[in-house]
Formats: sequence, structure tokens, C-alpha cells
Amino acid sequence: MRGTTFMKIATRIAARLAKAAVVLLAILVLNFLLIHAAPGDPAVVMAGEAGATDDVFLAQLREKFGLDQPLYMQLGKYVWDVLHLDLGFSYRQQMPVFDLLMDRLPATLLLTGSAFAVSLILGVAAGVLAASRVGKWSDTLISTVALLFYATPLFWAALMGVLLFSVVLGWLPPFGYETVGSGFTGMRRALDIAQHLALPALSLGLFFMAVYSRMTRASMLEVAQLDFVKTARAKGLSRGVIERRHILRNALLPIVTLAGLQAGQLVGGAVLTETVFAWPGIGRLMFEALTQRDYNVLLGVFFVSAAMVIVFNLITDLIYGIVDPRIRAQ
Amino acid sequence: MKDFWHRFRANKGGIVGLVLLAAIVAVALLAPMLFPGNPWKMVARPFVPPFEGMKFPLGTDTVGRNVAAGLAYGGRVSLLVGLVSTLAALLIGIPVGALAGYFGGRIDDLLMRVTEFFQTVPSFALAIVIVAIFQPSVVSITLAIGIVSWPPVARLVRGEVMSLRQREYIEAAILQGLSTPAIILRQILPNAVSPIIVMASLMVASAILLESSLSFLGLGDPNLMSWGYMIGAARTVIRQAWWLSLFPGVAIVLTVLALNLIGESLNDALNPRLSRRRS
Amino acid sequence: MKRILAAVVASFLAVAPALADPVAGGRANVVIQPEPPSLMLGLVQNAPAQQVAGNIYEGLLRYDTKLNPMPSLAKSWEVSDDGLTYTFHLQHGVKWHDGQPFSADDVVFSADVFLRKTHPRFRAVLDHVESITAPDADTVVFRLKSPFGPFLNSFEVGSMPIVPKHIYEGTDFATNPANNTPIGTGPFKFAEWVKGSYIKLVKNPDYWDQGKPYLDEVYWHVIPDAASRAVAYETGQVDILPAGSIENFDIDRVKELPDTCITQSGWEFFGPQSWVWLNNRQGPTASKEFRQAIMYALDREFIRDSLFNGLGQIPNGPFAGSTRYNDTDLKPWPYDPKKAKELVKASGYKGEVLKLVPMPYGETWMRLAEVIKQNLADVGIKVEIVSTDVAGWNQHLSDWDFDLSTTYLYQYGDPALGVSRSYVSGNIKKGSPWNNVEGYSNPKVDALFDKGAGTVDPAERKAAYDEVQKILVDDVPNAWLLDMGMPTISRCSVKDLVTTGIGLNDGFKNAWIQK
Repeated sequence: MRGTTFMKIATRIAARLAKAAVVLLAILVLNFLLIHAAPGDPAVVMAGEAGATDDVFLAQLREKFGLDQPLYMQLGKYVWDVLHLDLGFSYRQQMPVFDLLMDRLPATLLLTGSAFAVSLILGVAAGVLAASRVGKWSDTLISTVALLFYATPLFWAALMGVLLFSVVLGWLPPFGYETVGSGFTGMRRALDIAQHLALPALSLGLFFMAVYSRMTRASMLEVAQLDFVKTARAKGLSRGVIERRHILRNALLPIVTLAGLQAGQLVGGAVLTETVFAWPGIGRLMFEALTQRDYNVLLGVFFVSAAMVIVFNLITDLIYGIVDPRIRAQ
Repeated sequence: MKDFWHRFRANKGGIVGLVLLAAIVAVALLAPMLFPGNPWKMVARPFVPPFEGMKFPLGTDTVGRNVAAGLAYGGRVSLLVGLVSTLAALLIGIPVGALAGYFGGRIDDLLMRVTEFFQTVPSFALAIVIVAIFQPSVVSITLAIGIVSWPPVARLVRGEVMSLRQREYIEAAILQGLSTPAIILRQILPNAVSPIIVMASLMVASAILLESSLSFLGLGDPNLMSWGYMIGAARTVIRQAWWLSLFPGVAIVLTVLALNLIGESLNDALNPRLSRRRS
Repeated sequence: MKRILAAVVASFLAVAPALADPVAGGRANVVIQPEPPSLMLGLVQNAPAQQVAGNIYEGLLRYDTKLNPMPSLAKSWEVSDDGLTYTFHLQHGVKWHDGQPFSADDVVFSADVFLRKTHPRFRAVLDHVESITAPDADTVVFRLKSPFGPFLNSFEVGSMPIVPKHIYEGTDFATNPANNTPIGTGPFKFAEWVKGSYIKLVKNPDYWDQGKPYLDEVYWHVIPDAASRAVAYETGQVDILPAGSIENFDIDRVKELPDTCITQSGWEFFGPQSWVWLNNRQGPTASKEFRQAIMYALDREFIRDSLFNGLGQIPNGPFAGSTRYNDTDLKPWPYDPKKAKELVKASGYKGEVLKLVPMPYGETWMRLAEVIKQNLADVGIKVEIVSTDVAGWNQHLSDWDFDLSTTYLYQYGDPALGVSRSYVSGNIKKGSPWNNVEGYSNPKVDALFDKGAGTVDPAERKAAYDEVQKILVDDVPNAWLLDMGMPTISRCSVKDLVTTGIGLNDGFKNAWIQK
């Protein structure tokens, strides 16, 4: 019994991965064409920055970057390399794109992961609280605050956060990943990073906190009206038990979907936060690569973030199977 | 209709939102009368603080432009970008969703794969790339926002159409020999309109947020005054001139808030089945 | 007989007299913006690369703030009377950071082989050079084809960085793995580079100039957002803000902070001048009256005072104030919208919309474009701003696809190095945003610039450049905006940071921190 269920899940995952690979490749091709349609190329950017240039210099750079080849050749080579798990070389940063991404990815994952956890936990908690006190002042307060967060531009919240907590109060460092050159190790270093993490993670999480609390509240109220809950009430189960076992568990389904979506988008969605807080992640890398026309790096970031979306969709599916027994049975 | 209004009114938030939005739209529309000339005109010395006289109630900016005038004119751009990009998203999303939901099978598969594609690309990053490539202008910004925000519309419409497609009256229409476009346009879509309206009102709100984020990164239209632009430009002087980022920020929050309140009330009023369950 | 120009040991001249004695030790935290693509100065010469790597590599000469040459890797030098032979005598006991000895062969290799291949600006200098030889291990001789006025100005570390022959000879320079761990002769050694975060340099204990440097280490912090950079200074995370690292709007506030010193020195060698490119080929800007109208229409004092924080000088012509042979008697261009309107009318302007492509180097430059647009609108000229990023802007200029565009260019202290390139017709070539982009072509101007460059006699040079300035000022090929003020902000406890005409680019050799 267990074996066949496992097989079923494995087959489903394999089919999903195959489809995902096609989507991923299509994304790379589209972005390749998009970015090459942009005015200028890396040679022009580097020549411009050098403050002096001549034809020899440009030709050297273009040859070095392989930009002297026709576009379809470049595309063909790129796709071929990617199929061989080679994301190319960043001439701008003088290192392989893969290494560059691996350098930057942990910072982004730390930032977005914390923002994700904070927004999910606090958001769902607030939503549950509001739903159980529906109509009372605490519900009104939570709903109003959630709506306000929901309507506040993220970068604005970030700037205000820096102004208040770093500049005025001096509680938290205004930017960066850790205190550079401090020589901290072990716990001291972890604490240092956590301090740097607080503001960016919070400001990035605010919006989703609002989304989760609104969604949880609505979902809880909706489920509370369903027949099986009424049955449970009729059986005389306590309010707390009903809320936890019956309502919350079922109300979680749309939240799992949303959380999966958010988790996927977090990697690509941190551009603004990483810029304001000088967070050395791949969101910022993407924006820099775009303005520097560092094609391979930009494509690499798209590759990684799209892959993340796919992975998280899969995880969402699996969690769905655990939370909702109906799907497992199918 | 009367019934709709009655239910809409039942939610106080909706009324608040409506009044707010009406006020914002009124100021935006009347901008040329309230502030004749152009919002880029340098009218006074830079950094006149707000509330220091009636001439410039909200102060002046880095080069001495009237902030109040900027807000009024900026409202036009923010609202317009929000509205038009939502229309663009609807124009892509509704046909895709309707076709996928109506025909099902291979067509559904193909269209959903395309939708999936756009949901897999990080949307904000894609918007940035599109705007950067076509160079920032109101057209490229609107287009980019439209392109990244249509997939949810397509999914919603697909779901609605799929369930409506099973209804008896549609079967009857098919038997009557009505053409497929006629069935989709006249029989199905009108019945799917309520959730689309609700979604659209919320999409305008997120489009305004998206536009301001793009402007913040320096990807706004340099020839048009918009709230996003004003915050982006004020960011570097946030320490010495707080009002420059505060007022447009508040304008965005209020507008987005109003649209969300309206959206919720619309939802209550248009989907009574759902909303009664809620409270 | 040979004219001896200088033969003084480095330690004697290099340091401006300090009030207190330097103390060794400490760390400098500096902002670097943007993150340089590489620190291999022979390959990459953009401004941030020079700022960091100028302390790793060295040139043959340094220049004081009056642009007089000072010893560096060359301890003395002679110029023959005919202006054709330049002989450099090198320092003794210089070692590369990897311990290998430095010799004249490295200099010949750098100039003749490496930089000839990789350095466009030095390549232009090499056009005047016939041969480069090393008669012995401590001597290098440059022979020129014909006299070249500013030749002695071409040996600063950014213009001619000396790279190690033993690492690069016979390799592909661009892909040599050693590029990631640059080896120079300078006062600091490369230690670590965490991309996106910081670059760390450490003291070179075997530095040839005994006793220097004083600092133990220098950290260059990469902070991509201008507002964050200002905050970093305020909260004490960095101590030194190179020019351009914070927005101009922030300077007034930051310079008033406690223990904060500001200097505009250290940029004399570069002498950046900002102007509006006017497309001389086509459209309304092809008319001289129209271009003059633009000069009268621009409120340059307002631009300087409100956008550039009052820093810098308003130029009357194409030579920046710090550039040699700048004519201070040129007639100024006042802000005169009325006169501008008349000239616009006289030019036959019919309301065409001009395309303004602003330089996308931060908020100040965007505000500048908006002010220019409004200034021109006030005299009836219609302008549309075309927003683009660095790559797009370079491309627009390289393809001559603009009516108006903002920019600033270094003048390298000498008209033959930094001014003529923007005005001589031989430099009208597509593909670069740094040559004669506006398309101005005047045989008389070409001849005068040639004359000024082709002699070492100051009087002859002055005569030629005086005349050329008169012509250019009347023709207005470009609308000159500002000789830019470049403020370096630092804690007052950081001493002797800016002692040369290139300031921070080689500043850490002498810098020390007061305890």
C-alpha cells in the first residue's frame, strides 16, 4: 500500500519536473531574446565606464564575450551550455555565473526565508485571532492594520524603517549583511547577521503578513459556515477544539497555495529590499546585471528564480497532499 | 441594481473607499484648473517646508517645484497607469481564460502552459527587464504591468467559464446553433463578470503600487509627474525634506486603500452567496 | 646638455607638510561606488577600479595638485632639449607583491606590450612614441616620433599602470587567472574581495618607500544605494566618502556632522567638466544661433547652487579651470532668457521637439535634465526626455542618436589629453561616447589643436590654445555647464589622505589616522 502511494507520488513528481524543464528552457530563450533586444551591450558599457575607448578595444571585448557571433549562434551555444548545466561566464565579475549565483544565493535565501517565516507565522496568527473575535474591536484593529500594510509600498516601509530604527533610535544597523571586518565568528557572528537581517526581513514581510492575515480570517470565516463544522458544534465539541481541528486545518488550504506562490516569488521579488538595504543577494545582482548588460548573469538569475518557483510549486503540491486527505486518495 | 447598491452600502468600508477615491479622482481631473501651467515649473526656492503659507501648502521640492501641483498631476498618471494596465491585463487574461475554459483539452493545455510560464518568471523582475529594454515611458510601463499581471485573470476566467460551460442553458444555446464566439461573448462572459470586476478593482491598486516601485528604481517616465516618481526623486533627500516622500507616499496608500475597500464591498455586493457566509 | 627636471628622492617631496607626525596602524573604511568589474588596472580603468587599484599598482610618476610631476616608480627623469627623448631612472629595491624583483623590463613590457593591447587612452599616447627601451635594469627610455606637449603628463597610475611581466608575458591578458589576485608594487596588497560586499587591502610590509604606508588595512565597502552610503558614514561604518559616493543633496548635511572634513582637492589631474552635447549635424542644434540661445537659456548658477550644492565653477568655454592654458579672460555667458528667445527666433526654429538623453548617473543628473528641459521650455524650445540606463545612454551617444545629452569628461590637466578629443574632426567616429560625439568640424580648430600638442614650448602652446578657445566659445559646439567640484568627505582624524592631483586614487600611500 505504502509502496504504491510512493510510486504514484514519484511518477507525478517526474511528470511535473519534465514539464517544468520545458517551461524553464522557454523562459531562458525568451529572456535571452529580450535582453539582447535592449540597447547597448556589455562591451559598450565597459568601454563607456573606462572613460576612453577605440574600435580595437570594442572589437576585443566583443570577441571576448562572443558577441561578434550572429545572435542565433549565441542563443544556440547558450542553450547547449545550459543543457550541460553550464550557466556561462560573467566577464563583468570575472567568474563563472554559477559560482556567482552560489555566492549570492545564501543571502537572498536567508532574507526571503526569514521574511517568509515571519509573515506566515504572524499573518496566520493575526488572522486566526481576528476570525475568532469577528466584529469585536480587536478584529477591527487587526483588519485595519492589515489593510494599511497591504496598501503601503514596500520600499517606502523600508525607508521609514531605516529612518526610525537606525537613524533616529540607533537600534539596528541600517544596511549590509554583517559588520564588515569585525572578525566575528560562531554565535557572535550569527547574532550580528540577525541584527542586520531584522529590518529588511520585516519590511519585506509586512505586505505578505497583511495578505496572510486577511486571507486566514476570510478563509476561517468561510469554513466556519460549512456543514461539517455545524455538525461538530452540534456534537457539543468545545469552541477551541473546533477552531483548531476543524476550521483551521481546512482553512489552511488556500494559505498553503498562497505560501507556495510567495515562496517561489521571494527570490525574484527581493530586488527592492536588497537595493535599499545593500543586501548582497541575487535580486540586486539581477538589477546590476541588467544595467551592465551582463547577459549570462541576468539569465542565470532568471534561471535560478524560475527553478525556485517550480520547486516550491512542487513542495506546495506535496504539502497539499498531507493537509488535504482527499487529494492523497485520488 | 437597487439590490446591489443596498448590499454595497451595507459595508461601511466601501462607502469610505468610494468617497476617498472620488476625492482623489476629482483633484486629479481638476489639476489644470487648480494648478494652471505645468507641475515641472520651478516656482520658488527649493525646499520650502509645508504649511508655511497658502502659496505652497505642501512645500516645494529639490528644485523649487510645487509639491501640491505635483500631487494633483501625479494622481492623473498613477490612476491612468493603474487603469490602463489593468485593462491591458484583462484584454490578455479574459480571452486566454475564456478559450481555455470553454474548449478544454489541448487548447486548455497549451494556454495554461503559457500562463504557467508567465507565473514562473519572477514577475517584478520581468517587469523591470521589459521597462529597461523598451526604455522607461508611460507606454512601456503600462505594457509591462499588463504583461505581468494577466495570469490570475486568465485562471479566474477559466474556472468560471468551465463551470458555466456545464450549465444547461449553454447546452441549449449550442443546440440552437449559436456560434461559439456568440456563446462565449453573450452567454458566458456576462455571467462571469462579477468576480472579474472585483479582481480588476484590486488589480488597479496593485498596478499603482507596481508603477511606484518601478519609478523608485528609476524606471519611471521622465516626462510625466507621477507619485512613484516623486518618491523616487525624494528618496535621496528624505533626511532634509521628509515631506517630499511623505505626501506622495500617503497619496499612494490612500488610493490603494480606497480601491481595496471598494473591491471588498464589490465582492460582498456582487457575490452575496459568499459574503453572507462571511459575517 | 640635458635639462634636469627633477632628481629628488620620493620621501622628500611626496608628503605635504603635516602638523603632527604620522603614526602607524589602523584601518580605513572607504565607500566604493559602483563595485569595480576588476582590480587589474591594466585591463580596467573605470573610476572605481582606479580608486582601489591605484593603491595596489603604481605608475612611473605622480602629480601634485598643481600637476607638477613627482617621483613614484621613477625616482628621477630627464627630457632632451628637442623634446624627443624621455629618460626615467627607477627606484632601487622595488619588489612585486609576490616577492619577485621589479625592473625596467617590467616597464617596457607594460607600456609596449600589455597596455598597447588593452588600454585605449594609453594607446593614443603610444601613437607619438617611436620606441621604448631599457638600456639597463634601472633605466627606461621613451623616444618620440615628434614632440608631444603633454607627454610628461601620461605616467600616472591610471594612465600607465606598471604590471608584472613575469606573470603576464606570453599569456592571454584578459583571461589570466592572476587578474583575480592583482599583483602590483604599490603600498597595499590585495587581500580579499567578497563580491557585493567589500574589498580588503592590507599593508605591503616590503614597500620600497620605507616607513610607508601607515595604515594596516583599507576596506572598500560596496553599498549600492546612495542614501545608504550617507547613513553608513553617519553611523560610523565608513570614514571616507570619495567624491560622487553620496548624492549632492546630502553633502550639506553630511559635512556639518561632527569630526567631518571636506576637501575639493585631489581631482586636479582629472579636472572634470560637464556639458550638454548638442548635435551639430542635424535639427535645430545644427544652427549656431540656436546653440548660442541654449547657452543663454541655461540658468547655470541655479544648476550649480541647487543641484551641485554650490560646488564647482561655471566655465566660459571648453577648458576646465584646472586645465593648462585655460583662458580666464573669455567673455562669460550670462543667464539671459530674453536674448535666448531672440536667438531662437533668429535661428528659424519651428517648434521641433528635441530629444534629451540624460546621463543616467544618479538623481542629480536626472534633476539636471528636468531643469534643462524647463529652462529651454521657458524660451520656447520643446524638449522630451528620453530615459535610459548606462548601456542605453552609451549606445545613444555612440550612434549619435540624440539632440541633447548631458555628460562630463575628464580633461587630464592638458588640452591635448582631455579637451581636443571632443572637438577635433579626426575624432568624429561612431562607437564611443567619449570622442567628438557632437560632430563639430572646423579645419582651423583641428590645425590649432595640432599645433598646441606638437610642441613643448609653453608660449607656443598658449598662443594656439588661446585662439582655439576664442573660436569654440563663439561656435558653441556644446553647452558648457560646470567645472565640477569633487568633494572628498572624511573624518578629520584621517590625515594626509589627499596629497596629489589624483587624490584618493593613490592617497593611501601617505594617509594615517590620528589616535
